[in-house]
Amino acid sequence: MTDRDAVWWRVAWRNLWRNRGRTLVTASALALGYLSAVVMVGLTDGMSAELVENGTRLLSGQIQIHAPDYLPERSMHATIGGDAGTDVAALLARIDADPDVMASAPRLYGGGLVSAGERTEAGLLLGIDPEREPRVTTLLSTMDGGRTPRAGAHEVAVGSEMARQLQLGLGDEVILVAPAADGSLGNDLYTLTGIFHTGTPAIDASYAVIPLPDLQLLLAMAPGRIHEVALDVTRPWDTDAIATDLARRLQGSGPPLAVRSWRQLRPELAQSVDLMDSMNFLIVIIIFGMAVFGVANTMIIGTFERKKEFAVVRALGSTATGVGRTVVYEGIMLGALALAAGALITAPVMWWWHTAPPDLSWFVGSFSWSGAQWRPILRVEYSTETPLISAAALFLTSVFAAIYPAWKATRVPPADALADR
Amino acid sequence: MTDFPLYPIPRAALRRLARAALPAVLAGLTFAAPLQAQTAREIIDRVDRLLRGASSHGKVEMRIKTEHWSRSLEMEVWSLGTEYSLVRVTAPPREAGTATLKAGQEVWNYLPRVDRTIKVPPSLMMGSWMGSHFTNDDLVKESRIVDDYDIEIAFDGERDGVPVWEFTLTPKPEAPVVWGRIEEQVRKADLMPTWVHYYDEDGTLVRTMTFSDYKRMGGRLVPAEMRVVPTDKPDESTALIYHELEFDVGLTPDFFSLRNLRARSR
Amino acid sequence: MKLYALLLLSFRSVGRNTRRSILTATAMALGLALLIFSRSIAEGGHEQWIDSAVRLGTGHVAIQAPEYLETGRLEHRLDSTQVRRVVRALEDTAVAGTVRTWVPRLTVSGLASSASSALPVRIEGVDPARERVFSTLPDQLVEGRYLEPGDRLHAFVGEELARRLDLKVGGRFVLTAQVASGQVEGQMMRVAGIFHTGIQEMDEGLVHVPLETMRRWLGVPGAVTTIAVLLDSSRETEATVSILRQELDGARGVRVMGWRQASPEMDSAVRIDDYGDYLFHTILFAIIALAVLNAVMMSVLGRKREFGILQALGLTGGETGLVVLGEGLFLTAASGLLGMVAGFVFTWVFFRHGLDFSAFMSEGMSASGGVIDPVIVPVFRYDQVLLSVASILVIGTLASLYPAVRASKLDVAEAMKFEQ
Repeated sequence: MTDRDAVWWRVAWRNLWRNRGRTLVTASALALGYLSAVVMVGLTDGMSAELVENGTRLLSGQIQIHAPDYLPERSMHATIGGDAGTDVAALLARIDADPDVMASAPRLYGGGLVSAGERTEAGLLLGIDPEREPRVTTLLSTMDGGRTPRAGAHEVAVGSEMARQLQLGLGDEVILVAPAADGSLGNDLYTLTGIFHTGTPAIDASYAVIPLPDLQLLLAMAPGRIHEVALDVTRPWDTDAIATDLARRLQGSGPPLAVRSWRQLRPELAQSVDLMDSMNFLIVIIIFGMAVFGVANTMIIGTFERKKEFAVVRALGSTATGVGRTVVYEGIMLGALALAAGALITAPVMWWWHTAPPDLSWFVGSFSWSGAQWRPILRVEYSTETPLISAAALFLTSVFAAIYPAWKATRVPPADALADR
Repeated sequence: MTDFPLYPIPRAALRRLARAALPAVLAGLTFAAPLQAQTAREIIDRVDRLLRGASSHGKVEMRIKTEHWSRSLEMEVWSLGTEYSLVRVTAPPREAGTATLKAGQEVWNYLPRVDRTIKVPPSLMMGSWMGSHFTNDDLVKESRIVDDYDIEIAFDGERDGVPVWEFTLTPKPEAPVVWGRIEEQVRKADLMPTWVHYYDEDGTLVRTMTFSDYKRMGGRLVPAEMRVVPTDKPDESTALIYHELEFDVGLTPDFFSLRNLRARSR
Repeated sequence: MKLYALLLLSFRSVGRNTRRSILTATAMALGLALLIFSRSIAEGGHEQWIDSAVRLGTGHVAIQAPEYLETGRLEHRLDSTQVRRVVRALEDTAVAGTVRTWVPRLTVSGLASSASSALPVRIEGVDPARERVFSTLPDQLVEGRYLEPGDRLHAFVGEELARRLDLKVGGRFVLTAQVASGQVEGQMMRVAGIFHTGIQEMDEGLVHVPLETMRRWLGVPGAVTTIAVLLDSSRETEATVSILRQELDGARGVRVMGWRQASPEMDSAVRIDDYGDYLFHTILFAIIALAVLNAVMMSVLGRKREFGILQALGLTGGETGLVVLGEGLFLTAASGLLGMVAGFVFTWVFFRHGLDFSAFMSEGMSASGGVIDPVIVPVFRYDQVLLSVASILVIGTLASLYPAVRASKLDVAEAMKFEQ
C-alpha cells in the first residue's frame, strides 16, 4: 500500500466513526440480514432433514440392503445369499465399517396370520434384532408400557390397531401361523409383551414383531438367513450417493447385494420432501433477496445523504476518484466489521438451536405422516456454504451499493452541491 | 402373501368326477340324437346336483415338489357335498393332527403343535393349500359348472389308438372364473378323464392336470392319481394319490364339528 | 399553524426530495409485495398439500356409519335412506356453496385372483363421473382408461397388481369378498385401465370398480360405506362439519368427520406446516421491518438542518414533528398502496396458472406423475392480505415516529450550525 493509499483507508475509517448513527444503522442491516439468511437456510434444511428422518426412522430406515432378486415380489426364499443364507455378523461388520453408516439392523419377513381367541387377522411377521433395531428405527420405542420381545422367550409385539381388532392386552396369548420355508405350516404360541403405536394405521394394523431367531425357527430357516438390512446414515439428504458408495464397497466380499436409498424405496416420500424443499428454497430466495435489498437500500440512501460532505471534501482538493475510494473502503471495513459481528451473534444462535432444538410436542402433539412418526422439533442444520455465500453476497452488496450514489453525488460540482442546487 | 390352509382337495376330486360323469351321459345321447346345447345343459345340471348330496371318506397322499422344497403328506378326508369337509394330516408325525374344517362359510384350522384352533375368515383365504399347486379357485367355488361354462365337444376320435372325447369349456362372459378356457380329454371306453388343460384368456396354457392309475374304489372306477403341473415352472408339481376312497358313507353335517376337528385319527 | 398547512408542507417535503422518498418507499412497497406474494404461495402450497392428500382419501369431510372408521366392515354401512338424507343435506344451500363435489363409495376388503396368482386388495365401488372430479387417482393413468358411466365389469387397477396377476388392459380377473349375507362370492371383472401412484399400498392393493356393480355383487342396493366431500378450501371444513352435523342430527347411525378427525396424522402434519410457515413469515417480516427502519433512519440522519430551518421559520417543535410525521405517513400510505398493487399484480400475472415447482424437483419424480401436484397456485386470503398490509403500515408509521420526535426536539441554533 502506498502512502496515499494508507491515507484513504484512514480517512475511510474515520468517516465511519464520525457518523456513528449512520454506521450503526448500516452495520445492523448487514449483521441482522446475515443472521436471518443463515438461520433461514438452517431452518429449512432442518425441516427437510427432519422430514426425511422422521419418514425413514420409523420403520424403513434410510437405506435398505437385499438380495438382488428380493424386490419387488418379496419372495420368502429370496434371502441374502440365497437358500444357504450368509454370515450375518460378518456382513453387518462390513456394512458398519462404512463411515457413513451410523447403525444397521437385520430383518426377516414372513406373511401369515395372527390369531387370538376367536379372532384371526392377516399379519406381516417381522423378525428383528432387539439390540440393533432401536439404533436404526423408532418403531419399538413407540410402545406405551410393555417391552420389546426377548429372543427365545416366545414373546411378540403387535401394533395398536391389530391389538384392538384382536382385543388383545399385554400378557395375552397369541398364535402366529405362517408358511415355512420347507413348505410346512409354521405355528407357535407367543405372549404379547408390547403394543406399539406409530400413528400410521397401515403399520399399526399389520405388523407383528418378534426376535429374529424366533422367526427363523418358526419359518424353518437357518440362522444365516435374513431378507434385509436396514441402515441409518449420517446424511439423510444424501442417501443416494451413500448407497452407491456402499454398494461399491460391499461388492465382491460376500453375497450379491442390492443397496437402495429411501428415495428409491419410498418415491412418494421423496416427492413430498422435494416439494417442500422447493417451496422452502423459494422462501429463502425471497428472504435473502429482501436482506440484500435492505442492505443496498440503506447504503444508497446513506450515501446520497452525504452529498454535501463529499462536496466539502472535493472543495478541499480531493478528486472524484478519491471520494469514490473512500466510499469503497468504508464499505469494505464496514462490511467486514458488521459481518464479523453478525457471525459472532449467529454462531451461538445456530449452535444452541442445533443442539437444543425447541420441541413443539407440547404445542401440537406427535403424529405420523407419509408413514412416519413426526416429532415436531424445529431444528437447524449446519452448512458450510450458506454462511460463506451469505457473507459474500452481503459484503459485496455493502461495497457496491454505495458506489453508484457516490459517483452520482460527485458529478455535481462542489459549489452547486454546497448551495443545494 | 401366498400359501395358506384352505379347503380340502377332495372337492376338486369331486369336480373331476362330476365332469367325468358328464361324458357318460352325453355318450348316451350321441346314439340317440344330435347333441343339443339345451338338453346337454339340463343333463349336466342334473348330474351336478346329484353330486351335491354325495358324502365321501378317503385316505390321500399329497406329494408336492417346488423350487425350494419337496414334501409328502398323508391325509384323511371326509366331505359332504360342497358345503362340508374335514381334512386331517396323518403323516409325517411332525404335522400329524393338523386339520382343516369347512362348515358352510366358516373355516377352521386345528394346529396340534400348539393345541389351538383358529378361525379363518373367508376373506383371508388366498393362494394355495398347504403350499400345493391347487388354487383357491378350485376349492372355494360353490357355484355350478353350468352357470359358469359353456361346454362343447372339440374332438371325437382316437388319440394314440385310444378313442376319446375332448371337451372345450368356455367360461360364460360374466362368470366369476379366472380361466379363459379349459380343455379336457375323456376316454370313451370307461369315461375316465385323462387330462385337463387350463388356459388364460390370451390362450396361454397356465397349468395341466393329468389323471392316471385308474382303479375301482368305493364301488366306482376312479383315477387314483391326479397331478398338477404349472406351465411356467415345469419342475414343480403337486400329486394327489388316493389310497382309499369310499362314497355314500352316511355322513351328516353334525360330523363336521370343532370337536372332530381336534380329534386324533384312530 | 393550521393542520392543513402542515399537511401541505409534509406533502411537498415528500416531493422535494424524490430520491430519498422513493428509496424509502421502495423498501416498504417491495417488502409488502414480497410478503403478499410469499404468503399467497405458502397458502397455495398448504391448500395443495391438503388437497392432494384428501383427494386420495376421504375428502375434506367424510360421512360414514359410526363404527366404520374403526372396523372397516360392510355391516357398518349407510343404507339408501341415510344416503338420501345425507345427499339432501349436502345440497342444502348453506353448505352447497362450499362443496366442490362429493362422491359415494362402497369399500370392502377382498381378494383379486387371476389365472396366475391372487392378492388381497381393497375394492372401492365408485361413481366414475364424480370420482374423476374428486380424486386424483384417474389422473395417474398409465394405460387404458378410467371407469366411465355405464361401465359394468370394468376395473381400474394399480400397476403392481396388474404385474403380479399378469394382467393387461382387457384382462380377466375375479374379485372375491364376503357379501352382505355372509357368503363369499366372486365377481368377474376386466381391466379397463392401469394406474401408477408410486405408493406401493395403492399400486398393489387398490381396485376401483363401478358402484352399481359393487352394490349388486354385495347385495346392498343403494348403500355406501362412505360419502366423501370435497370443499372449495380446507379452511371451510370446521364450519361445514358443524352445519352437516346439525342437519343430520336425528339421523341415526351417521357420523360426520372433518379430515382432521378422519386422518389425525394429516392433522398434525398440517399444524407443523402452519407453524413453520408462521415462523418463516415472521422472519421475512422482521427483515422487511429492518429494511424500512434502516431506510427511514438513513434519511433522518441527514436532515437536521432541514428540520432546524423549519423551526427557524416559525414552526414549533411539535409542529415540526407533525410535518415530519405527516411525511412519513404519506410515504407509508403510498408505499402500502403501491406494494399491495405490485404484490397482487406480480402474483396474479405471473403465477395465476400456478408456479410449477417440478423444475426444482429431482428428475425422476416429475416423470412418474405422482400424487402431489408440483404446480402451486397462489391463494389469496383476505385476512392474510389485510394483516400484511396493516403490519407494513404500522411499521411505516412507527418508523416515522422516530424522526418526527427528533425533529420536534431540535435545538434550532445547534442544528443550523452544521451542514447536516
